[in-house]
Amino acid sequence: MAWEWGEEEEDNKIVCIIFNPGKHLMKIAITGGKGGTGKSTISTALAMELSHEHKVLLIDADVECPDDHIILPTTREKVKNVHAMLPSFNPENCSKCGSCSEVCRENAVVFIKDKYPFIISRQCNGCGACLLACPSSALKEGQQVIGTIYQGQHQQPPGRNSNNLLLVWSEMDVGCESTSLVVNATREYAASMVSEYDHVLIDTAAGTHCNVISAMMGVDLALAVTEPTPLGKHDLKLILQLLKIMKIPTQIIVNKSTIGDSNLIEEVSRDNSVPLIQEIPYEREILKKHSRGQLVIHKTIEELANTITVKFLGGTHK
Amino acid sequence: MKTITILSGKGGAGKSTLTASLSVTLANKNKVVAIDCDADAPNLALVLGLDEENFDSWEPLTTGAKIQFSKDKCKSLKFCPNCPGLQKCMNACNFSAITWNTEEDLPEINELLCVGCGACQLACPTGALTLKKVENARIGVGKTQYGFPIISGQLKIGESGSGNVVNALRMKASEIAEDIQADYMILDAAAGVGCPVIASLRGIDYVILITEPTSAAFWDLKRAIELVDHFNIPCGAVINRWGINKDFTYQLQDYFQTNNIPLLGMIPYDTRFIEALVNLKPAVVYEPNFKTIFEDIMNNCLLNLQEISNAISQ
Repeated sequence: MAWEWGEEEEDNKIVCIIFNPGKHLMKIAITGGKGGTGKSTISTALAMELSHEHKVLLIDADVECPDDHIILPTTREKVKNVHAMLPSFNPENCSKCGSCSEVCRENAVVFIKDKYPFIISRQCNGCGACLLACPSSALKEGQQVIGTIYQGQHQQPPGRNSNNLLLVWSEMDVGCESTSLVVNATREYAASMVSEYDHVLIDTAAGTHCNVISAMMGVDLALAVTEPTPLGKHDLKLILQLLKIMKIPTQIIVNKSTIGDSNLIEEVSRDNSVPLIQEIPYEREILKKHSRGQLVIHKTIEELANTITVKFLGGTHK
Repeated sequence: MKTITILSGKGGAGKSTLTASLSVTLANKNKVVAIDCDADAPNLALVLGLDEENFDSWEPLTTGAKIQFSKDKCKSLKFCPNCPGLQKCMNACNFSAITWNTEEDLPEINELLCVGCGACQLACPTGALTLKKVENARIGVGKTQYGFPIISGQLKIGESGSGNVVNALRMKASEIAEDIQADYMILDAAAGVGCPVIASLRGIDYVILITEPTSAAFWDLKRAIELVDHFNIPCGAVINRWGINKDFTYQLQDYFQTNNIPLLGMIPYDTRFIEALVNLKPAVVYEPNFKTIFEDIMNNCLLNLQEISNAISQ
C-alpha cells in the first residue's frame, strides 16, 4: 500500500495525517460503539455528498438491522443468498461415539449416550470441527441459508448520472447467530466491484464484537460517530480501544452536538489523541428527516465530505 | 419470579432509559434484579448513576478460546509424510482467520477473527495448533442507590463470544435473584437481533419492545418482533419520543393494534430525558413529573403478564 504516516503539530494537538499520493481507493468505516448515534444517517448523507463528484460504494454492514436502504432511495435487487456450512448427518456411518458433540463449542450438537447426535441448525456457526472430529465419516459438508445480499443504485432525479452511488446491504435471517459470516459474505461480494469505485464507505453495526470487527477489517480510516452524553463517551472509549488494536486511523464525529455536554467527547478526543473533525447539530429539521426515513442534507455533511476529500484523499471537493 | 427483556432492534431507541426508570419504579414495591445484556457497550449502570469503579465485585469470565500456534511443531509438517504443504489448518478455518505466509511457508493467525472453534486444531497433523481458554469478559455486580442490584458485563475488546457473556450474566443474576428472593428480573438487551440478543431472550416470560416513530426504528422493530415470535414470547410495546412525528406515531399505534401487541405506554419527546442522562440519573428520578409515564407502563405490563398467566392456567 502506498501509505505513509506522518505526525504534525496543529493547534498544539498531534494529529495523524495520511498522505495519499496519487489516486487511491479509500475504504472508510463509519462506526461508534453506541447504537442510535447516527451512523446510518451520516453514512448515507456522506455517501450522497461524495457521489456528486466521485463514484461511491456504500456497504451497510449492519446485517442484523440494516437501515441505509430505508434512508437512501435505491433500487432493490436481490444478489444472492448467503450460505453457511451445516453438517449433514448420515446415520448409517455413525458409531454413536459422541466426538462431534464434544468438539462443538457452540453446543449445536446434542448427544445422548447410545443415541444418534442431533444438530441444532440455528446454533451451528458452520465451523466444521465436528466433521473433522468424526472418526466414521457420518458427517458431511452441507449448507444452510443464513441471509440474503441485496444491492441498489441510488435513484437520482432525471438528468443526473445515477451510476455514481451503489448501496450493498444484507439481511441476516432472523434467529441466526452467525452475524459475522453474513458481514464477511457481503464484503466479499462488494470486493468484486471495488475497482469501479473511488470511495468505499462501510456502515457498521452498534457494539464492538465480531460483526463490527469483520466490517472494519482492512479499512483505511474509521469515523467514530458519537453523541455528547456519558453513554456516548463510554462507548466511544470502547470503540477507540478496538480501533487502536486494529491499527485503524480514526477521527471522531460528534452528532447531536448541541445537546448534552460537549466537554465529554472533547476529553476523550484529547486523552486518546484522536481528532474530532466534525460536529453535527441537533436540529428539528434533521430530526424530521430522520423520522421520515429521508436523506439528511446539511452543511455540516458538506463540510465533512470536504474535510475527508481534502485531508485524506489529497483532492478537492466541489 | 418473572423475567422481562427490553428489546428494540435499533440502537439508541431508549432501551436503557426505559430499563432504568422501569426498574426504579418496580423496585418501589418489589424486589428487582437488573441485568445489562449489552456486554459490547454496557450503559445501564451509567444511567442508574453507578460507575464501574463503584461495583461491589468484578470477576473474569473465561468462556472464550483462541488458537495458539507453535512454529516449531508446524515446521515438522515439512517432514510429515501425510500432507506436506496442504495448508490443512487454513483450509479448515471457515472464518478467514488463517492466512498463509508464503515467504516463510507458515500459517498466520488473525486473533481478531479467530472464534476459537478448534477446527484447525483438529485438522493439523502436527499438533502445532492448540485451543487455549482465554478471558473474554468480566462480570460485575453492583448495588444501585435505588436499592436493587445490577449485573453488568464488559466484553474484552477484540474478544468474541458476546452470547456466552450474556449467558454467564444471566446465570450470575439468577444466583442473586434467588438469594434476595427477587420478584422481577429486568434484562436490557443489546441492539440488533444477533447472538447476544438471542441469549437475552431464551426462557424469558415477557418482552417489552421499545421503538420510536422513525422509519429506521420501525423497520428494525419488525425484525425484533420476528425474533420474539420465533421464540414465541408474549410481548407489549412502548413508543418512545412520540412527539417527533405524530402521524407516524398513529401508524405505529395501528400497527400494534393489528398485530395484537398491547401498547403499554408512550414516552414523549422531551429534552429533559437527555438532561437526565447527562446528570447520570434515571429519567423518573430526575424529573418526578415523568413518574406517571413509567407507572403506567409498569402497571400495563404487570396486568398483561397476569392475563397471560391466567390464560395459561385455564
